[in-house]
Amino acid sequence: MTGNVAVVGGGIAGLETAVRLKALGWNPIIIEKSSSLGGHVAEWNCLFPDLAPADKLVKELVDAADGIEIHTDTEIASIFYTRKSYSIVLSDGSRFMCDSLVLATGFSLFQAEKKEEYGYGIYDHVITNRDLELWFNTGSDERVPSDPKAIGFVHCVGSRDIKAGNTQCSKVCCITAIKQAIELKEKFPKAEIYCFYMDLRLFGRKYEDFYIRAQRDMGIHFIRGRVSEVSETIDGRVFVKAEDTLSGKPLRVSLDLLVLMAGIVCNRENTTLAESISVQTDEDGFFRSRDNITHITESDRPGVFFAGTCTGPKTIPETLAEARSAAISVDAYLKSLK
Amino acid sequence: MRERFASGFDPFVIPFLIGMAFVLGYCLFGMLRIWFQLPRKDRRKVVLSLITPKGIWKNVKDIFANCLLHVKLWKRNPVLGYMHSSIAFGWFMLIVLGHIEVWLFLPERLRLFYYPIFFNFFVAESESTIQGAVIFFLMDFFLLVVLSGIVLAMIKRVRSRIFGMRRTTNPSFLDRIGLYALWSIFPLRLLCESFTAHISGGSFLTLPMNWIFRQFLGNSMNALPTWWAYSIALGVFMCVLPFTRYMHIPAEMMLIPLRNAGLHILHPRKGFARLQFFSCPGCGVCIDACPMSAKKENIKDCTVYLNRQLRRGNEERIEQISDKCLLCGKCTAVCQVGVQGPEMRIAQRMLRRYAVNQHYTDIDPTKFVPEGGSSAKVLYFAGCMTHLTPAIGRSVRSVLDKAGVGFKMMDPDGGLCCGRPMMMAGRREQTRELIRINTDIIRASGCNTLLLSCPICYRIFKEKYSLEGIRVVHHSVYFDELIKQGRLKISGKTLRKLAYHDPCELGRGCGIYEQPRSAVSAVGTLVEAEKNREESICCGGSLGSLSLSYEKRKDITLASLRNLTVADPDTIVTACPLCQTTYGNYSEIPVKDIAQLIDDASK
Repeated sequence: MTGNVAVVGGGIAGLETAVRLKALGWNPIIIEKSSSLGGHVAEWNCLFPDLAPADKLVKELVDAADGIEIHTDTEIASIFYTRKSYSIVLSDGSRFMCDSLVLATGFSLFQAEKKEEYGYGIYDHVITNRDLELWFNTGSDERVPSDPKAIGFVHCVGSRDIKAGNTQCSKVCCITAIKQAIELKEKFPKAEIYCFYMDLRLFGRKYEDFYIRAQRDMGIHFIRGRVSEVSETIDGRVFVKAEDTLSGKPLRVSLDLLVLMAGIVCNRENTTLAESISVQTDEDGFFRSRDNITHITESDRPGVFFAGTCTGPKTIPETLAEARSAAISVDAYLKSLK
Repeated sequence: MRERFASGFDPFVIPFLIGMAFVLGYCLFGMLRIWFQLPRKDRRKVVLSLITPKGIWKNVKDIFANCLLHVKLWKRNPVLGYMHSSIAFGWFMLIVLGHIEVWLFLPERLRLFYYPIFFNFFVAESESTIQGAVIFFLMDFFLLVVLSGIVLAMIKRVRSRIFGMRRTTNPSFLDRIGLYALWSIFPLRLLCESFTAHISGGSFLTLPMNWIFRQFLGNSMNALPTWWAYSIALGVFMCVLPFTRYMHIPAEMMLIPLRNAGLHILHPRKGFARLQFFSCPGCGVCIDACPMSAKKENIKDCTVYLNRQLRRGNEERIEQISDKCLLCGKCTAVCQVGVQGPEMRIAQRMLRRYAVNQHYTDIDPTKFVPEGGSSAKVLYFAGCMTHLTPAIGRSVRSVLDKAGVGFKMMDPDGGLCCGRPMMMAGRREQTRELIRINTDIIRASGCNTLLLSCPICYRIFKEKYSLEGIRVVHHSVYFDELIKQGRLKISGKTLRKLAYHDPCELGRGCGIYEQPRSAVSAVGTLVEAEKNREESICCGGSLGSLSLSYEKRKDITLASLRNLTVADPDTIVTACPLCQTTYGNYSEIPVKDIAQLIDDASK
């Protein structure tokens, strides 16, 4: 027995699991395909509902992971199960044996260009939630006008959408849209902001207060109804057609910026990974847990565990809690091998 | 030749006579019923088509080529073609030759209905008829032809793949009775004629068999029971014929003149449609062709089963089948008798009554008349599908600008629907109203060309609008012309492999196959899909289906994509915004509209 645990994915779930495993006396090895750690959270500016900076959270996790073996820009080249341990070869050529495997492969953001009717990649002033966070971070994106008069948010882009092939709710976009709307309103107090939603799912603590603040204190307009079509006016503004289903009337509005709340969809690479170690994925492409209530971090396969959004959309606190839970499950499993 | 029986009659002919009387009576009654179900206007059309020599010639030619020789089937699969034409043409020749025999030797018996069929029983060969050997030879020859067809038919039951069919229909109980009766008719005929060959004469087939039989049977007591069996087999076949798929034999002969007269389906159970579903031979070619059959659960929704349910009057299933269909028209393209599956389904949808009926009477066409100078002679109608795929609309406008074509947008800020979706849903009134308003708008625009970038719009503008003096053109055709005329300069021709997908509404719907290919070839290397042109496979996104859910369409789209990518293309090119969106959801390689492709490659 080596005491090695391979942690696939260096996002917050992978980092937290590795840190906890290290504290429990095991030897985690993080395999991250991109060149930096922190995953999607590292791209975000600040986090709901307290507007805490995202980089602080990532930095804390990365600092805590000091001393853990981390392979960035690396993917798993091959993986074999031999006599209760996994033999792993990485794309950088290194190879090692491990007793357990934690999959923290996360999610993908829905490709907004697939919903062509919203004009992402076609019109000049259509961006996604991710683009907006990057703009918050860097301040440079020529699609964001310097003095917008009207801004729109489209909720549920590619989530809860059978046509796009994703029926699941992404869980975090409603509150993210409210957070981003508030942030934009603070930056551009004169701009009118419209949120086009199907329904608002504000389940977490403080989320509802956040929403009331946006609606009452900030004057952000919430319109229930899906956007049917987006076009461009001659002067380059974005022209949105929607239906206000509460008043039952069609609505047309010209905007200077349209933000698409691209949803959480499964990481497509899950399928190939799942095949190579024979764990199951569900129809939606997320990993299938042994049980959706009591064993969410465990797979059907001995020694293979899940952490974070690879088993479905989750908030950051949920992801971190699950990462710790996965670490405890791994600990129990490794002890049982002894 | 001389007669063996003075009466010219034997009781064994009775089963045959009963069957013949029944089938003739049934068909006559059925024909009259269909005839009177046709609207007066259609009946006039048919009569007018039947009195001109040209019309008669065409009908005779088509009936001969399709009902007897099965020319279309030969083109599809030679073995299948041979099987059908050997039975049909061989049988026809046996009947004709039988009549010639009677006419030559015993002309006074021609008025007896059964005489030519059972000729060999009633006559004995005399010396003066030795010249008849030619006819005897021909009789044996065509019997052999039919028998070879029957053998193939038996093989087909077991292994349909040899005949190019992966899946075939399940015959119903009566179909099986008809089938076995048909199979037994000709071997029995061979036996009968062999037993009596030493009396009535025979040729290379029947004479040697007669010799063999006499070696071990020794007497001619077997002859009469075999003739009875032959007559019974014929009688059974004709009695069950109206209730089996073999009804297509008489029905198709009436269908051909009616189709040649240019009739349309107006009601799913009456008149022309009735004739069509009786003409369905139940062969099941449409099962393999149907894009929905990518999923096994949809097989029973193919046109062959719609015809079966229409004959049975199973209303619930008829409704389900009619709603599910994508209306891609491929079943009609491959159908041997030309049953119009989509039209039958639309007619069925027309019967439905809705609680809410939209009306557009308060829409003022003058509000939609496009502004702009009179110099712009091209009116571009993007339609809802292109509005939902703004990249295509942008490319179309860009190409027009590059070629220096002056144009006006008919629906820059949303317009009216072309009416095709309403038409597909069977809502005739709404379609008519939309057509009226759109026609007013187009007429008022003063343009002489109507440009469409969506084949769904294009088809209805082409088929149902009366826009004399205005050219209705699809963008793939128009751009191909611009390239050929040199008005549009292609600068970026690449070696990329481009697979062109024929959209249902543009290809099978409007017969446009060449111009898009020519335009694609001007830009890159054109590669073909496994099934293309008339047999191209629907993308699965069609507006035609009223009940297929998005999840269920996925398998159809994936199967269609597999067909498209056999030549390993770098990009899929289509000429329909709906196909582009549908493929885009699942394709691993880029999917582009022909407008985007040309826009990228031109300057």
